[in-house]
Amino acid sequence: MAEKKTALRSVGRPRSVDTAQASLALLLNLVRTGTATTRQELERGSELGRAVVADRLATMIDLGLLKEGELGQATGGRAPRQMRFREDAGSLLVSAIDQSSIALGIADLNGQMLVEHHEAARLDAGPEAILERLATIFDWLLRETEKPAPWGMGLALAGPIEKPSAEFEAVHVLQSVQSWQGFPFLERLSMRIGVPIFARSGVQTMTMGEAKAGGGRGLSDIIYVKLGRSISAGLMSEGRLHRGAQGAAGMIGHSRVGDDLLGAIAGADALAREGTAAAEDGRSPYLAQALARQGEISVVDIGHAAQLGDLFCVELLGRCGRMVGEALAPLTNLVNPTLIIIGGIVAESGGDSLLAGIREAVYRQSHPMVSRDLQIMRSQMGASAGLVGAAQVVVEELFSPPILQGWIGHGSPLLHPDFQRVMERYTTTLAPKAATPSGRTAP
Amino acid sequence: MNGKTPVDTAKPIAGLGPHGERAVPADQIQLTEGDAVEAKARRFAVAVVLHTTTSDWSKQELAGIAATLGLYSAAVVEVVDCNFDVELQIAALTRLAREPVDAVISIPIGNTRVAAAHRALAHSGRKLVLLDNAPTGMLPGADYASVVSTDNFGLGQSCAAMLSDHIPPNGAAGILGYGIDFFATHEREIAFRKWMGIHRPDVTLVRERFAELEDAGPAALAMVEKARGLSGIFAVWDVPAMKAVRALAQQGFDIPVTTVDLGNDVALDMVRRGMIKGVGAQMPYDQGSAAARVTVAALLGLSVPPWVALAGREVTPLDVVEAYQVIWHLPAPRAIIDAMRILVATQGHSK
Repeated sequence: MAEKKTALRSVGRPRSVDTAQASLALLLNLVRTGTATTRQELERGSELGRAVVADRLATMIDLGLLKEGELGQATGGRAPRQMRFREDAGSLLVSAIDQSSIALGIADLNGQMLVEHHEAARLDAGPEAILERLATIFDWLLRETEKPAPWGMGLALAGPIEKPSAEFEAVHVLQSVQSWQGFPFLERLSMRIGVPIFARSGVQTMTMGEAKAGGGRGLSDIIYVKLGRSISAGLMSEGRLHRGAQGAAGMIGHSRVGDDLLGAIAGADALAREGTAAAEDGRSPYLAQALARQGEISVVDIGHAAQLGDLFCVELLGRCGRMVGEALAPLTNLVNPTLIIIGGIVAESGGDSLLAGIREAVYRQSHPMVSRDLQIMRSQMGASAGLVGAAQVVVEELFSPPILQGWIGHGSPLLHPDFQRVMERYTTTLAPKAATPSGRTAP
Repeated sequence: MNGKTPVDTAKPIAGLGPHGERAVPADQIQLTEGDAVEAKARRFAVAVVLHTTTSDWSKQELAGIAATLGLYSAAVVEVVDCNFDVELQIAALTRLAREPVDAVISIPIGNTRVAAAHRALAHSGRKLVLLDNAPTGMLPGADYASVVSTDNFGLGQSCAAMLSDHIPPNGAAGILGYGIDFFATHEREIAFRKWMGIHRPDVTLVRERFAELEDAGPAALAMVEKARGLSGIFAVWDVPAMKAVRALAQQGFDIPVTTVDLGNDVALDMVRRGMIKGVGAQMPYDQGSAAARVTVAALLGLSVPPWVALAGREVTPLDVVEAYQVIWHLPAPRAIIDAMRILVATQGHSK
């Protein structure tokens, strides 16, 4: 991209459209992140001249990206007027699709969640059904809550997500779900809603969400572990999410524990199987009752039984925790985190027995310096972590200098020339298969 | 208290919690005798902050809270009526954060607008138990102890299923929705639409919304105008449902309606063979009682689930009297019992 060649000018007036866009982008990000808000601070922070700063700010006020706020602290003369980023100039759609549920939300342009909805869903219903459900609920939520028009979508998906080849290009998703392979899910959804989509794996967005608003707030080195039907981890190191070469970092469920994979013996399905066996052979009286009542045992029942003192379930969750802790210990020694957050349905259900098992194994196998101040806690955010993290992903992408410079002169990322080209291509290649608009009848 | 109640055995919980949590049924919140002894010795003081104290729902909710807290010698030291005013709620919570109360049970009125005041109260050291929903951005553990809620998603599904019986193939159904950003009514409507989309894709849905209760009648008429041949209406709660029923009746329409909550007017309309054909009812007394148990458990430092839910109860015209007793913990009014006798007699004749 031509913008990439743009170097920041240290002084003087811009000589081309590219430099104008670069200065606009620079100033917007300074205001948006709160790094500099008065004209004087912006001149200092950007190393741009007074006239250029005044011109660029006026342009961004006209574009609806900035507004004048309250008076700042006076430093001798008149109190300066502060500039404010208009976080309501657009909205961000966020969604997290898991094996057994979907979560949707709308956030402002700072990534602050405004509304959330969670409902049960089955991934094996197929991509077409999930796509329609997402589009319909988003249609409804946007209309109902009267939020500003969306600028982009952050999507958290089950399984690893490859890095895209270029900006706004959709990635091949959900390699881990056989039935979804070959279905242009992101392309179709992007065309259906009319916004660019930025996808990450669920565990990566949850890690970002915990770092932004959960237990990891204000910390730069955290590990998030998702204990669900599968087991995976996200790593935030020195304030940045580690995605890995292909975007598949953190698949600790593939670690070996004896002859088995960790995910196969400590995931929710494995625990449910063990719980069912214990219910049938009488080792757990509570689970036997639950099985008779419901016809099946889930990890939620096991967690509840453990809380009520069922010895089999206490021991099962403790053992699960120790196995997970043994897989986490080498990772802990490698990255020296401040905090390990345990989330997912097993963690939500598992309670103290699970956490005690994890702590026991991690502390036993970690170097004393690594474990000295290390905290291990259960997530409080639940599935909301994925939504908050997905919003962060969109904010980081839309306002990254290379992408921002491509749209800032137009006032909206939807007018970015690359995105418009991608949408034209989707329209040509996908139009015959396009889903009929929903939301008119029933979500 | 630990035995199963009709509310918990009625239906499984269909919805997920404010952060996607799986529900813990209210009857699984138990306090042991030892817990009770400790609670009684500590004589907790609890304040209750409600959107209104005048509705039947609020009175029953409060009755459930007070009766159950009383069992553990916890005193309800104040009940705040916010009169649906966000500013009043913020002021009340700010004041309570400085007063000698151990816990507050509150129903958030607005969504994000009241989040900061609730959060500040929890951070002042008081235990906070929320009714119905957590404002977006608030987290269990850090910002509140637990949310105790009816399964609003399940209520919407029940209303769809009951209305479906009255919609002919390829017919049209209306949704009388609430035009205010309110979690519970959103969930009911989303669930109603989802159920129809899955089980009755042949049905065309039309929708009107109202922001003020007085607009519910005109909105229902506008819907009938928009979709001639409308075969049924789902109203998101009972008061607007009855406004719609009256407006429709005045214009000579007779359209099946399902709604949420068994108010007196709705109950009477059902047994008089009126337009109301089915109700998905909340169980406010039981919800209040569950909120009280959760509050005591949290005050004792016990681990409480982030989302405790109660299933609703489906009510049809023929079981209004029994349902009334279960839901309101009171005998049904005379007028309802008399109308029920006539209904049963007529049904007997028609057989």
